[in-house]
Amino acid sequence: MSKLEPGTYFMQGDEASVEGAIHAGCKFFAGYPITPATEIAERMARRLRQAGGVFLQLEDEITAIAAIIGASWTGTKAMTATSGPGFSLMQENLGYACMTETPIVIVDVQRSGPSTGQPTRAAQGDVMQARWGSHGDYEVIALAPNSVQEMFDLTITAFNLSERYRVPAIVLSDADIGHMRGTFVIPEKVEIVDRKYHTKPVSYNAFAYDENLVPNFPKFGQGHRVHITGLTHDISGYPKTTDAKVHEALVTRLVNKIRLHREDICRAEVINPHADSLVVAYGSPSNSVYEVVNERADVGLFRPITLWPFPEEQLRECAAHARRILVLEMNMGQIYWEVERIARKSPCEKIELLTRLGGDVHTPEEILEKLA
Amino acid sequence: MTRVRTKIDEKYCKGCNICVAICPVKVYVEGESLSSRGYTIPVIRRAEECMDAKREPGEKKKCELCVYVCPDQAIGWENE
Amino acid sequence: MNFFDFYRQDRWPHMFCPGCGIGTVMNAFFHAFVESGLDQNKTVFVAGIGCSGRIPGYIRADSLHTTHGRPIAFAGGIKVADPDLKVVVFSGDGDLGAIGGNHFINACRRNVELTVICINNYIYGMTGGQASTTTPRDFFSSTTPYGNREYPFDLSEVAVAAGANYVARWTTFHVKQMKKAMQKALLKDGFSFVEIASQCPAQFGRYNQMNSARQVFEWLKASAVPRSKASKLSADHLDLNLMGKITVGEFVERNRESYMKALGVLQ
Ligand SMILES: Cc1ncc(C[n+]2csc(CCOP(=O)(O)OP(=O)(O)O)c2C)c(N)n1
Ligand code: SF4
Ligand code: SF4
Repeated sequence: MSKLEPGTYFMQGDEASVEGAIHAGCKFFAGYPITPATEIAERMARRLRQAGGVFLQLEDEITAIAAIIGASWTGTKAMTATSGPGFSLMQENLGYACMTETPIVIVDVQRSGPSTGQPTRAAQGDVMQARWGSHGDYEVIALAPNSVQEMFDLTITAFNLSERYRVPAIVLSDADIGHMRGTFVIPEKVEIVDRKYHTKPVSYNAFAYDENLVPNFPKFGQGHRVHITGLTHDISGYPKTTDAKVHEALVTRLVNKIRLHREDICRAEVINPHADSLVVAYGSPSNSVYEVVNERADVGLFRPITLWPFPEEQLRECAAHARRILVLEMNMGQIYWEVERIARKSPCEKIELLTRLGGDVHTPEEILEKLA
Repeated sequence: MTRVRTKIDEKYCKGCNICVAICPVKVYVEGESLSSRGYTIPVIRRAEECMDAKREPGEKKKCELCVYVCPDQAIGWENE
Repeated sequence: MNFFDFYRQDRWPHMFCPGCGIGTVMNAFFHAFVESGLDQNKTVFVAGIGCSGRIPGYIRADSLHTTHGRPIAFAGGIKVADPDLKVVVFSGDGDLGAIGGNHFINACRRNVELTVICINNYIYGMTGGQASTTTPRDFFSSTTPYGNREYPFDLSEVAVAAGANYVARWTTFHVKQMKKAMQKALLKDGFSFVEIASQCPAQFGRYNQMNSARQVFEWLKASAVPRSKASKLSADHLDLNLMGKITVGEFVERNRESYMKALGVLQ
C-alpha cells in the first residue's frame, strides 16, 4: 500500500504528517530519534518501504539533513523530522540548502527549550530560529499546523512550496499537535507540485533564471555535469567569492524569490476580520481561540498558517479595524514582534502578548479575562 | 631515430622540484633561471637516461613517475 | 580519455600551491577512474571544505561541494536515493578526522557504498596551518607553537576497525600504488577508503622546518614503511609518526555485506 486511499482516518498528528509526506511523493526520510518527533521516524520506517521509498536512521541530525539534501539532488523528494535540539544541529546545512536551492522538508515538532528543556512538553520557541537560525541572509518557508488534519495538509503544502521555490520548507508543529489524536480526511483530489527540471544539459548555466527567479533543477546523473557549492557562486554554479556584485545578486535573488511570491505562499485563517479585539495565535494556542470567537462577535482571530514569510498584508488589513491586538504564544514573544512591527502604524491602541511557558496552553477563560 | 623524451611545459610548471625528487635515474636537476611566470623551472639534464626514452616506439611505458607525480601536470612527452 | 576530458581545462591551472600533493592525487585518480571504466555522467563527486575539498570543482561531472566535515553525510543520501550513481568523496584530514569523524566511522560501520579519498596533509591547509587530528606528536602548527602534545589518529586503522570493506594508504611518492588502490577502491562494493599522505608545503612544511615542497615530499618518502615490515615494529613505533613512520599498503580487503544490500535497496 503506497499512499492511503481517500477517506477519513484516525491518527496522531505525527503519523498524519507521514501520510501527508507519502501523498506528496516523499521517497526518502533520514532522521535521528527525538521526542516528540520520534513517531514520525517510526511510522516512516514502516510506511516508506511500502511506498517504495527508503528510511534511514543516521548518526545525528547533521547527517540527517545532509542526507536529505544529497537525496534531493538525485531528484528525490526527501524529508527529516526533529525537535529543538536536533533543529539546532541542522542549522548549518539548512543554510546550505538555501544557498544551493535544494528542496527539502523539515518537520520540527517543537518542545520547550533552551537546551534539553522539557522533552515532552509543547512550546513555540523555534519560530525565530526557523527564520534566522543559520548564518547569513536567506528566506525559508515555515508553516504552523494546529490540527491533525493540518499535519497532513501542511506537510503536503510544505513539499509543494519547497519544490516550486527550491527552498527548504519547515512544518513548525509542537508536541501537542504532534501527539494529538484525531480524525483527518484525505480528499479525492490532492494538488501535488513537482520541481521543474532542466531537460537539456546545462553545465555552465546551472543557475540561470528568469523573472520568476527560480532556476530549473539540474538533477544529478543526467549528464549535466554541474558543480553545486555553498560558496558564493554565479549562474555557472562555480565559486566567485570575492566579487561583491556576484554575492549581492545571488543573495538578493534567494531572498526575493520568496518575497516576490508571498501571495502564493502566505496562508492565514481569519475569523471576524473587522472585530474590535483581534487575537493573533498559531499552532496549539489557536485552538483555544475558536471557543472565544464563537462566544464573542467583537473578538476576531488572525491565525498565520504560514509563519515565514509572515502574511503581512492580511494582518495589516485586520489590524486596521482592531482597537487592540492580543498575541498568544508559547514563548517569551517571537511572532509578537512581527505583529508589533506590522500593526504599529495602525490606529490600534494596544498590542499585547500573553505568554505560556512550560507546556500549558492558554485557556479560553484566560484569553477572555485578558480581553475584559 | 628520434627518441621520445620528457618535456616541461613552462605554462604549467610551478618549480616545486618534486620531479627532481622522484626520478630514479636523475633526469632532472633543480633549475636556476626564472620562467616567465616567475618560477624556477627544473632542467632536463640527462634526458637520455630516462627509462621511457629508451623504449622502442609503441612499447609500454615503464616508469613515467615524473608525469604521474607532477602536481601541476607540466610534464609530457616530446616526439610522441 | 585524455586528462582534460576528465578535468576542466578552462579552470586550469588549478588553485593549489606549488608542490602541493593534491595535484598528484588528481593525476592518480584520473588514471584510476579511466581504468575502472566508470561512467563520468553517472558518477557524483562530493567534497567538504578545505583545499582537498576543491578537487570536485575541477572534474567534468556532477559535483557537490558541501559543508566542512559533512561530505560523507551528503554522499550517503545521494547514493541511497539513486543507487545507479557511483559516489566518490574527497576529504581532508581535518574534514574527515576532526569535524567529520563521526560520519566517517559510522559510514565505515554501515559499509555504505562510497569511495572516500582522504588527502592527509597532517594539518589544516586552507585555514593557514592549524593542528589537525593527524598532526604528528611534537610537530608544529600555528596552534601548536610549543609542539603538538596530542596523539594523532591513524585514519586507516580507524577505517579498518570501524568496518570498511577496502582500506589502503600510500604517500604521494607512491603514485603507481596509489592509482592501483584507487582503482580497486572504485570497483569495490561497500565502503572503500584510500588515504594519501600528502605534502602541504605551504603550511605543514613552513611550520616544520621543511622549507620546500621537495623536502616535505622527501620526508614522506623516507617515513613510509610497508605494512608487512611495520607489523614487526613495536606498537609504539607504529603509532603514526611517533617515530616518524607512516605505514603504507593495503590495510584490509574484505566482503562484508554492503549497506544497501543489507537494507534491501539493492539486490
Ligand atoms: C563549520 C566550520 N568550521 C570551520 C571552518 C573553517 N575551515 C575551513 S577548511 C578547514 C580545515 C581544512 O583542513 P583539512 O580538512 O585538513 O583540509 P586541507 O585544507 O588541509 O586540505 C577549516 C577549519 C568551516 N569552513 N566550517
Ligand atoms: S614536478 Fe612539475 S611543477 Fe614541479 S618542478 Fe617538476 S615539472 Fe615543475
Ligand atoms: S595550503 Fe597546503 S594543502 Fe592547501 S593548496 Fe597549499 S599546499 Fe596544498
